[in-house]
Amino acid sequence: MNALHPNPRRAQMPLSALAVAALIALAGCASSPPMPTAQMAVAEAAVQRANTSGTSDNAPGELQVALGKLASARDAMAAKDYERARQLAEQVDVDAQAAELHAQAARSRKAAQETQDAARVLQEEINRKTVR
Amino acid sequence: MTTRTFTLTTLSLAMATLMAACGSMPMPNGALDQARSRYDTAKNDSQVSSLAPDELKRAGESLRVAESTWSSGGKPSEVDHLAYLASQRVTIAQDTASSKASQAVTAGAGAERDRMRLALRTREADRAQTALTQSQQANAQKSSELAAADTKLAARSSEIDAAQTALTQSQQLNAQKTAELAVADAAAQNDKARIERRDARLGDLEMQLKDLNAKKTERGMVVTLGDVLFDTGKAQLTADSSGNLGKLAAFFQRNPQRTASIEGYTDSVGSASSNLDLSSRRADAVKTALVGLGVPSARLSTQAHGEEMPAASNDTLSGRQMNRRVEIVFAPQADDVLTK
Repeated sequence: MNALHPNPRRAQMPLSALAVAALIALAGCASSPPMPTAQMAVAEAAVQRANTSGTSDNAPGELQVALGKLASARDAMAAKDYERARQLAEQVDVDAQAAELHAQAARSRKAAQETQDAARVLQEEINRKTVR
Repeated sequence: MTTRTFTLTTLSLAMATLMAACGSMPMPNGALDQARSRYDTAKNDSQVSSLAPDELKRAGESLRVAESTWSSGGKPSEVDHLAYLASQRVTIAQDTASSKASQAVTAGAGAERDRMRLALRTREADRAQTALTQSQQANAQKSSELAAADTKLAARSSEIDAAQTALTQSQQLNAQKTAELAVADAAAQNDKARIERRDARLGDLEMQLKDLNAKKTERGMVVTLGDVLFDTGKAQLTADSSGNLGKLAAFFQRNPQRTASIEGYTDSVGSASSNLDLSSRRADAVKTALVGLGVPSARLSTQAHGEEMPAASNDTLSGRQMNRRVEIVFAPQADDVLTK
């Protein structure tokens, strides 16, 4: 998963390209999209929920992608590029969730590993006691 | 999918958009294809389909939206966007499944650890129980050994008691024996004293009779009163005889148990019948004289022998004189026989 966006700065480059393409498309079709206020609110909430020390410890790359896109979405809102802002906001929502769940999966994996280690240690202790 | 692919796809899409403008003909979309491929992979993963079915369903819905947008000729940028959302939802489903699988492992391992702890506690408890049982058995054995030792001790005690009793009885028996021995000793002493007394008496008897020239014969002690006591053919005692008769009477008085036979003899002068008569009268005369001196007549018997059993030859004067006699025969008493 880290391979998806190893560097948020690099990830923004194609997004910029996409934004350019979207602008061109908008200019082409000439239809004005509504302001994505709800999507932005959802994105803000998702990031706020995901932005914890647990997530930043176990999924820092993924969290950074979400944070970067949220910033881009705000920029797009400011630039009144609402279609771009909506898309980024929607992506921020899933990116934040993905970061959160990725961190959780990592934590669960560690916990499982530790539990298995503890069980093995206990088994060894039991074996020692049995032998004695 | 990689950033590079994504970027290139985006660029190519942008180019396609520029070229197609708002055309209705849907162009192949790499991002969508990739999202679909990722979705299919996740759907075929039993862990994802079983542990994150809701997330997988949302990813599928998201993919369908992207596809319908694409097939209805939506803007490639929107299709890309929707494909990205679908792809991220697949990622969410995968991470959710992974998380749950790990949690299941954790729970399972925790349960396993609890089970092992329980087994360990059980084993320790069993071991403690075994140790306790062994200890109790050892105690029981010690107790029974102690009881056996007690029994043995009691038996030994009773043996000692029995030995003590036997000893006491033996001592009593010894004392009794000693007493019996003392009695026997006393009896022996008595016997000895009696014998000594008898000996003394006998000695005394002999001494007393010695003065009377007593002779010891088979018939007993015999005192012979010679013819000097009688005149020839007479039964009258001469005066000389009183001394001898006094000694005899004293003897009878000292020995009140003694009885005697007074036996008369003659020489062969004259007829046998007159001699028998004479010897009878002489014996009677001696008896009468002794009775006169205080000897009870019951202790005296008389017997006449006439000229029978001469003490010497009748051919000479001295022989005939020796035959004219009266013999006082003291019958031997039972205890006299024992002396010699």
